[in-house]
Amino acid sequence: MNTIVVTGATSGIGFAVSREMLNKGYRLIGTGRSIQSCDKAAKLLAEEFPEADLIFFPANLMHLTQVTYLAEEINAYLAQNCEGRLFALINNAGCVCSHYTTSEDGYEQQFSLNYLSAFLLTYHLFPSLIKGNGRILITSSNSHKMMKMHWKDIMYQRRYNPLMVYKQSKLCNLLFAHALNRRLSGCPVRAYGIDPGLVNTDIGLKNNSRLTRLVWSVRRKKGVSPEVPAKIYARVCGQKHAPDGFYYAVHGETAFSRQVNDENAERLFALSERLCGISYDRMFEGAGL
Amino acid sequence: MNVLITGASGGLGRAFAICCAQRGCNLLLTDIEENGLYAIQNGLKRQFDGNILIKRCDMTIDKDVRELMDYANQQNFKLDMLLNVAGIDYEGGFMQRDFLQISEILSVNVEATLRITHHALKLRRPEGRFYVVFVSSLASLYPIPLKATYAASKRFLLDFSLALGQELKSKNVFVLSLCPGGLCTTQDSLRGIEAQGFWGSMTTNRIEKVVHQTINRSLRGKRIYIPGMFNRALGLISRFVPAFIIAKLLYERWSKAQKQWLVLND
Repeated sequence: MNTIVVTGATSGIGFAVSREMLNKGYRLIGTGRSIQSCDKAAKLLAEEFPEADLIFFPANLMHLTQVTYLAEEINAYLAQNCEGRLFALINNAGCVCSHYTTSEDGYEQQFSLNYLSAFLLTYHLFPSLIKGNGRILITSSNSHKMMKMHWKDIMYQRRYNPLMVYKQSKLCNLLFAHALNRRLSGCPVRAYGIDPGLVNTDIGLKNNSRLTRLVWSVRRKKGVSPEVPAKIYARVCGQKHAPDGFYYAVHGETAFSRQVNDENAERLFALSERLCGISYDRMFEGAGL
Repeated sequence: MNVLITGASGGLGRAFAICCAQRGCNLLLTDIEENGLYAIQNGLKRQFDGNILIKRCDMTIDKDVRELMDYANQQNFKLDMLLNVAGIDYEGGFMQRDFLQISEILSVNVEATLRITHHALKLRRPEGRFYVVFVSSLASLYPIPLKATYAASKRFLLDFSLALGQELKSKNVFVLSLCPGGLCTTQDSLRGIEAQGFWGSMTTNRIEKVVHQTINRSLRGKRIYIPGMFNRALGLISRFVPAFIIAKLLYERWSKAQKQWLVLND
């Protein structure tokens, strides 16, 4: 039985992906922000799939210490139950914040949760992914188009604009996947960006200002139900050999912004390594890559 | 420039720390919450070049504050600026709260803040200017029923800072009171602002702007900073309308807000 990790699995797209993957017979490790939300999601899924093998770990991935702690828990669980093998890591957790707020590390919250947590979690789970010939899926979005990296002030500390910060975080996700794939030629592990399209979830309603909630409650009505994009994740994971594409939407492979290039990807990768206090290259060397 | 920030692992403290680090300041961060200090220290060190020191301190305990100052001395960290951010509040009316909580508000917001200010002033550079910032509140401008202790404690800081500023003007010490409206620092504070409805969103300030402006104004030697046009207008009204009428109006507003707050927290 192949094991997958889904972050932000208690609601929205993450929950739908979890259902879809359990349906296909994967073993699920889900994460959610609070113990209550994890319990609730685990109970719902266990009721629907009584035979399924699933476990939830609560962690607020906005804070990097919690990402590291979660990774330790997952690695220990994988070692005990799955011979240390992880088949897919679905970096899906994300948020929208209408005000400038920081994580415990002093990083802007959307940047930290939507992007940096995925960067760090992937790093820590990488040895397990190598053992499992795994795939890394990152929830991006077409909103990354028409957006450039705001290098001058990457966390928008001077003038905060929630929409721009969100769009940039989704561009970061693709740049990360791109930089990772450059380093992984010759290795069976591959990274993919996923465009779920406009989906009717609660993302803009959780702990946001009236304006953001109002805008999102109108906008989300045009969105599809989360079951639709869940199929993309299942398709990318379901192929026997890791597919060659990079960015997938409901209808298959899709185009991405020209901003997703080597220069931006490497610059962001170096910055992210510094912000997380890690080095992928050293880890790759240790893993014999 | 060497800056001491209290309450540095909270939302506003972190924002001040980032703002100062961006300007190339060396920082000594303190808070009662030690893990938070390690996290923000790491985050700042990875982004900026300045020297970032941390030391846990319960400001209500004299021994802790002395240890903090000894630590600064050992590190040869002479102060140029003190940002008094640490403060607390408990929602609910005077009789709905335990007296221990009421006294804790006073002890942290007033007594501990003055204690650390007194010690820090002794640790300032002998030559050069010294800047002190007190984080007061828009609440300091009025008597606020149901938030009486908090508002009065912030009023204390406002009056105190004006007097202290005058007292130490000749010694090159500049004292500023920051009187912000709502600041979205945590999910709880966001819910608190939501509960106030229209007034909440009108008086809320952008935290990233407030911290920059506060440092700028402090360096320019200003004494009071009320961020936002709307808040300044409210501040003006408080000068002309008798306090008992304001108290009556605010009682209406806060009893509604508190009911809403209870609903949102359920």
